[in-house]
Amino acid sequence: MTGRVRRWALAAGLAGTAALMVAAGTGLPRFGGDQHPYGARAVAASLRQQTANTISSVNFDQRALDTLGEESILFGSVLGTVVLLRQTRDEHRVRPRPERVPAALRRYGAGLLPVTLLIGLYIVAHGQLSPGGGFQGGVVIATALHLLYVGADYRALERIRPLGLFELVDGSGEAAYVLLGGAGLLAGSAYLANVLPHGTFNTMASGGTVPLLNAAVGLEVASAVVVLLAHFLDQAIEITDNRKAHR
Amino acid sequence: MADTALVTLTLLFVAAAAGAAVLTRDPARQAVVLSLLGLGLALLFTVLQAPDVGLSQLGVGAAVTPLMILLTVRKVRRRRKRDG
Amino acid sequence: MNGWLVAAAVLTAGGLGPCLWAGSRGTAGRRVAAQNMATLLLCLDFLLLAQGYGRPSYVDLALVTCVLGPAGTLVFVRLLAEELHDEPEGGPPGARLLTPVTLVATPATVLPLCVATGPGRAMAKLLVIGVLLGLGATVTTRALRHG
Repeated sequence: MTGRVRRWALAAGLAGTAALMVAAGTGLPRFGGDQHPYGARAVAASLRQQTANTISSVNFDQRALDTLGEESILFGSVLGTVVLLRQTRDEHRVRPRPERVPAALRRYGAGLLPVTLLIGLYIVAHGQLSPGGGFQGGVVIATALHLLYVGADYRALERIRPLGLFELVDGSGEAAYVLLGGAGLLAGSAYLANVLPHGTFNTMASGGTVPLLNAAVGLEVASAVVVLLAHFLDQAIEITDNRKAHR
Repeated sequence: MADTALVTLTLLFVAAAAGAAVLTRDPARQAVVLSLLGLGLALLFTVLQAPDVGLSQLGVGAAVTPLMILLTVRKVRRRRKRDG
Repeated sequence: MNGWLVAAAVLTAGGLGPCLWAGSRGTAGRRVAAQNMATLLLCLDFLLLAQGYGRPSYVDLALVTCVLGPAGTLVFVRLLAEELHDEPEGGPPGARLLTPVTLVATPATVLPLCVATGPGRAMAKLLVIGVLLGLGATVTTRALRHG
């Protein structure tokens, strides 16, 4: 195919996509309206399941299988990154020099770490009640640990970060989600069905399996981000390749 | 009224930040603009009444993404300095 | 028409807009200072929106911003250390603005919100966010000015 033919094929494809997008757009409800067929049904279902945060009800109850897919995508991509960024035979580790950090910054990092950790746990635990949940809280928890890197140095972070343990928790979080889905089958219902008692609306003990699935995702995401950043940090700070020695 | 103004303003901010991120050539400086774009997106999701998505954007965009980009830049620059 | 939402719109246009302008040009130090200022203003913006929409749970966005914002700025300060080192004595020009803006804008936003909320757990949360913002601004300003 010559360049010209390719450009025409591209233009035709783009025009077709644009026409379909415009046609689909005309069928949408008006922007900002308060009537939406899917919204009304999702809200009714989440009220039936005693889950105050409808978004969590959609993510972890009504469409829990989709979230399993998303969680597995994160799990798989972190696994792939770990394989790509591993230390190969022609690379070796150099211990980084300790960084000189001002005392105020060191104190801020040390003081803010537990506060940030607590905020992350709060976001995970209140997923069924207010905005947030396992993913959002998990990322905040992982960021909290890295305050040690910016508040002190990489060696301080390495001391409190047993990587093997985080890799184990990453897999366990993923497994916990899959197994919690199986609980629905054991109870004689569908996979990932919300079979636990739904509890009292707008309290911590509500939503049935929603808080449990949130906790599983929280574990998985927090350790996945820690493992991911660990390999980036290793490559950027500790690992150097030996190519100079071969010359 | 104020609601429409907020949505319009935030959309303009996001469009401007995205444009600026594309036009910035140096990856380290681009990471700063990208971080501003992330903050704008978190605000956009919130004024569109999707705080859950806003919180996800904030969590990923505030510190984790800049850290990954800057660590990659550091690794590439270190290798180039040694080879060059 | 809701006064809190008008204030949020003014803060978005008059605060975040200039931050984007300063953040997309000039030296690395100037850009990081602008990004730092943007996280502070965004946090206040979230507080105003939560009150304006009558959704107390939106305050969680501000709570997350007030800890992750400074963390992000410190990531830039650590990994752009070489470029920030070339800044003139006293750090990039924007860094000098942050402390006065924090000292004026944080109480100017948090205190009226406290009055509107009334005493209780919600007010304690607002005050915690205010204190964390102040601490974060102090530390990031110092880190930016001393590279």
